[in-house]
Amino acid sequence: MRIVASQTTTPQYKADLFTRIVKLSPIFLLAFLIITVLGGLIGVILPAFGWAPALNQYTIGLDGFNALWQTPGLSQMALLSIGTGLFSTLLAFVITLMILATFFNTVWLNTIQRLLSPILVIPHAAAAIAIGFIIAPSGMLSRLVSPWLSGWELSPPGIFPHDSWGVSIILGLTLKELPFLLLMALGVLAQPELGKKLREQHKIALNLGYCPMTAFFKVILPNLYPLLRLPILAVLAYASASVEMPLILGPNTPPTLAVAIMHWFNDVDLNLRIKASAGALLQLALTGGLLALWLAGEKTIKYCFSDILTNGEREYGGAFWQKITSILITLVISFILLALAGLIMWSVAGFWRFPSAIPEQFVLSHFQRALVQMIDPLSNTLTIGIVSTILAILLTLLCLESEQLNSKPVSRFTSLIIYLPLLVPGIAFLFGLVWLQQLVNNLSAFISVVFSHILFILPYVFLSLAGSYRRLDPRFSHVAASLGAKPYKVFLQIKLPQLFAPILIAAALGLAISFGQYLPTLLVGGGRIATITTEAVTLANGASRRTSAVYAIIQMALPLVGFILAWFLPKLFYKSVHH
Amino acid sequence: MLTSKFWQKLTRYSFCCVALCFLLTTSISNADSTELKTRWQIIENSAKKQDVYFYAWGGDPQINAYIQWAAREVKTLYNINLHHVKLSDTSEAVSRVLAEKSANNNTQGSVDLVWINGANFATMSEHALLLKQWANKLPNFKYTDPENNPAVNFDFGIPTQGMEAPWGQASLTFYYDSLATDKPPTTLAELLHWSEQNAGRFSYPKPPDFLGLSFLKYALVILHQKSSEQIKSQLNAPVTEQNKALILNPLWDFLNKLHPSLWRNGKHFTQSGEQMRRLVDDTELSLAFTFSAPMVPAAVKRFDLPNSIRSYAMSDGSLSNTHFIAIPYNASHQRSAQLVANFLLSPQAQAQKQKASVWGDSTVIIQSTLNNEQQGLFKAQLPHPSALPFNSIKRTLSEPHPDWVNAIIQGWENRYGISQ
Repeated sequence: MRIVASQTTTPQYKADLFTRIVKLSPIFLLAFLIITVLGGLIGVILPAFGWAPALNQYTIGLDGFNALWQTPGLSQMALLSIGTGLFSTLLAFVITLMILATFFNTVWLNTIQRLLSPILVIPHAAAAIAIGFIIAPSGMLSRLVSPWLSGWELSPPGIFPHDSWGVSIILGLTLKELPFLLLMALGVLAQPELGKKLREQHKIALNLGYCPMTAFFKVILPNLYPLLRLPILAVLAYASASVEMPLILGPNTPPTLAVAIMHWFNDVDLNLRIKASAGALLQLALTGGLLALWLAGEKTIKYCFSDILTNGEREYGGAFWQKITSILITLVISFILLALAGLIMWSVAGFWRFPSAIPEQFVLSHFQRALVQMIDPLSNTLTIGIVSTILAILLTLLCLESEQLNSKPVSRFTSLIIYLPLLVPGIAFLFGLVWLQQLVNNLSAFISVVFSHILFILPYVFLSLAGSYRRLDPRFSHVAASLGAKPYKVFLQIKLPQLFAPILIAAALGLAISFGQYLPTLLVGGGRIATITTEAVTLANGASRRTSAVYAIIQMALPLVGFILAWFLPKLFYKSVHH
Repeated sequence: MLTSKFWQKLTRYSFCCVALCFLLTTSISNADSTELKTRWQIIENSAKKQDVYFYAWGGDPQINAYIQWAAREVKTLYNINLHHVKLSDTSEAVSRVLAEKSANNNTQGSVDLVWINGANFATMSEHALLLKQWANKLPNFKYTDPENNPAVNFDFGIPTQGMEAPWGQASLTFYYDSLATDKPPTTLAELLHWSEQNAGRFSYPKPPDFLGLSFLKYALVILHQKSSEQIKSQLNAPVTEQNKALILNPLWDFLNKLHPSLWRNGKHFTQSGEQMRRLVDDTELSLAFTFSAPMVPAAVKRFDLPNSIRSYAMSDGSLSNTHFIAIPYNASHQRSAQLVANFLLSPQAQAQKQKASVWGDSTVIIQSTLNNEQQGLFKAQLPHPSALPFNSIKRTLSEPHPDWVNAIIQGWENRYGISQ
C-alpha cells in the first residue's frame, strides 16, 4: 500500500501497479504455502529414506522404517494417537450438535457461546495445565472431598492425568475443540441469507409439530454440515498429531506418536533422526487415514440415515436429550470455571498442602518473579504476533480483492491449499522446514518464525475475513468506480473502512493463534526465540506449578486483550465518525 | 649506487634479525604465561560489545534468574549481551549444532555457549562439534586447581581436552516429607523395604532423563559394591556383549522388585526431577531426590515445597559429577563466549551461584587457591531447616563409564518402557 501512496503523480500507472499486485497475490499465496509445506515434507521424506547429509548418510534405503517398526510399543503409540484424536473430535462434534440442537434459535445459544469462547483463545498448553490440576489425585476435585468425606490426609493414588488410555488427553482436547466447533457453526449460522433461511425452515418444522431437536437434526444439520466439514477435519488433524496436550496430560510409557517423534528428533543420539523422519511419515499416513475414515463415516451415516430424514417421525425423546445436554453443558462450564479458579489460586498461593481447598496464604511473589523474567519472551510474543498478523491480513485482503477484481471466487484448489497447514500435521513438516531453512540459511531466526506463524495464521484470518469481504455490498464500489475512483482508491477508501470491525476481529484471532504457537516457534526459531508459550510449556513439565499458573494466566490474558480491543475500537471509531 | 643500497638493506635486515632474536629469547624464557596473557588480551580486546547466545536448560526459575544476573554482570564488565536460550532438553542444542554442520554452516553457528555434561558432551566430542583447547587457558581456570583436582578435566570419565570449562558440581541428595514419613531409608536396601511399606510414595524420572539415569546409576554402583574387583572394574570400561548382562542383570532384578511399589505402580514415570518435586509438594510422593541439594531449601522458600521437607544423603554413598559449559566449533562469537565462561568461573560468580537463596550449586573452585577476601565471598549464612546438613555426604560414588548410559536406557526401554 506504501507503493500506492507514494506515486500520487502518476495515477494511471499507479492503478495498474495496484491491480497487478492484487492479481499476483493469490499466486504468491499459493507459492508460499506450497513451498513451505511441501518443502518441509520433502525435508522429512529424504532423511526417512536414508538421505541425510547431516549424518553423512547418503544411501537410500528403508533403515529408518525398519528402526521404526522395531520400536517397542509403536502400535500402542499409534493407537493412542488415533484413539485420542478420533474420540476427542467425535465427542466435541457430538456435544456441539447437542448444544446447537437444544438451544437453536434461543437466547441461550449466545450465552453459552459467550461463556465458552474465552476457552477458544486459551493456548493448549495453558488449558492442559489447568485441567491437569483438577483431575490429578491431589487436584481440586479430590481436595474438595478431603478429608471430611474421603479421609485422605495424603494425596490418594490415582490414574489421572497421564492415564495409559489417554482419557486425560481426550478430556483436554475435547474441552479445547468444543468452543472452536461451536463458534464455527455459529459463524455459519450468522451468514445473513443462509442463517435466515435455516431459521425459517426450523420454524416451519416446529409448526409441523417436529420437536426442536428433531427439527435441528432433520432440517438444519444437512445444510450446516458441509460448511462445518473443513473445521472438523482441521480439528481431527490437529488432535491426532498435537504435542502440547499429550506432553502435559498424556502417558509416557509409551507416549503418543507425535510426542515420541519429537523426542526422537531431539534425542542426543543423532541417528534417531532417521527414525524420527520415518515416524513423521507414519504420523502423516495416520492423520491422512483418520481424515479418510471420517469422510467415509460421514458417507455411511448419510447413506444409513437418509430414509430417517423423510420418514416424518417427529419425536425421538427430545425432552430427555435436552436434559442430558443441559447437564452436560453445566458440567463443562463448571469444570472450566473450577479450572480457572484453581489456576488463579495457584498463581498467588503460598504453602498449599493437600487436602486444603484453598491456599494457606496468598503471595504476589510468583507474579513478581515471573514478570521480571518475562520481559523478553513477552516482547518477542507481541512483535512476532503483530508482524505476522499484519502480513497475513494484508495478504488475505489482497487475495480477496483479486477475487472481486476477477469477479470470481478463488478456485477450490486455492481454498484447499489455504487450509493445508491445518490439515498436514505440524510435526510432519516443521522439522523438514528447519532443514530447508538451514539450506537457505540467510534468514534470521525472527523472520523464519514470523513466516512459520503466518502459515498457521493465514487459514484462520482467511476464514474469518472471507465472509465479510464477500458480503460487501458491491453497489458502493460500483458507484465509486463510476465516479472515476481507481481500484486502489475503492479498496482503501470504500472497502476497508466498511471492513474495519471484521479486520480487527481477524487481527485479534491472528494474534491469538500466533501467541499460542509452540512447535513452530520452538523448531523454526531453533529455540532462540522464547515466547510466553514456549516458556509455559517448558515450565509446565517441570518447576513450580505456581510459576506455570502465572504463565498460563498471562497466556490467556494476552489474546483476551486483543479481542477486547477488537470489540472496543470499532465502537470508538464509529462514534468519532458520527461526531 | 647499487652497493650502497645493498648495504642499507643489509643493515636493516640484520637489525631486524637481532631484534627478532631478542624477542624470541625473551618470549621463550616465560613462553607459557606471556602467550596465555597475550592470547587473553587479544580476546578481551576483540570480544566486547557482542551478543552471546547461551543454550542452557531453562526448567528452573532460580537457575534462570542466576543466568540473568550473570548477563547483567557481563553487560557492565564487557558490554556483552548474554541471551539465555532456554532449552527443555540440552540435546536440542546438540541437534542444532549438528544440523548446522550438515548445512555447512561452519562459522555462523547459532549456539555460542552450551551448558552440558555426560552423554551430550560425549556425543558432541565424538562428532567433533566442540571448540578445543580453550577452557584450560582461561585465566580463572587456575582456581579449580586442575593438577590436584582431576574432576574438572574429566566429564563422566571422558577427558575434556579443554573443550569445556567446569561450572558446578553436584551430588545425589535425597529429601522427604517429614509429616508423611519420619524414618526415610538411608541405603538402597532400605529404600526397597521403605517403598514396599509406603506404596506409591516414591518414583524416579523416566530415562533418558538425567536425574532418573543418575538414580539408576546409583543403584547399579551400590548393587555391585560386594561384587568381585574384576566385575567392578567393568563399570569403568566400555560396554561389551560379554559384560552387559553380568553388570546390568542385578539392576533389572532390583527394579523388578522395586517397580510394583512405586508411584502409579511403576507404570508411569515422571518426566523430570522438577515434576517429581511438584509431586512431593502435592503429597503424592513422600521421598524424592535431586542433584542440586540447595534447590530444596530454595524451593521451600518459594513455597514450591512444604515446610516439612528435610534433606539427607544416603549413607551407602552419593553419586557425584561435575557439569560444564562448552563452545561449539562453529560458534559465531567464540571469543565473547570465552569471556563469559571465564566470568562464570570467577570467584565472584561462583560464590553468587553457591548462595542457597540464588541457586545453591556447589562451586568448582578449590578454596585454597583463593585469597582471604575471595574466600570471604563463600561464607554461608545460617542453614535452612530443609537444607542438607553440613558434611552429610560421607562417601561419594563416581560415575560409571558413559557407555553404560545407553545400555541402561535401552535395557530400561525394552523392559519397562511399555506398560502392559
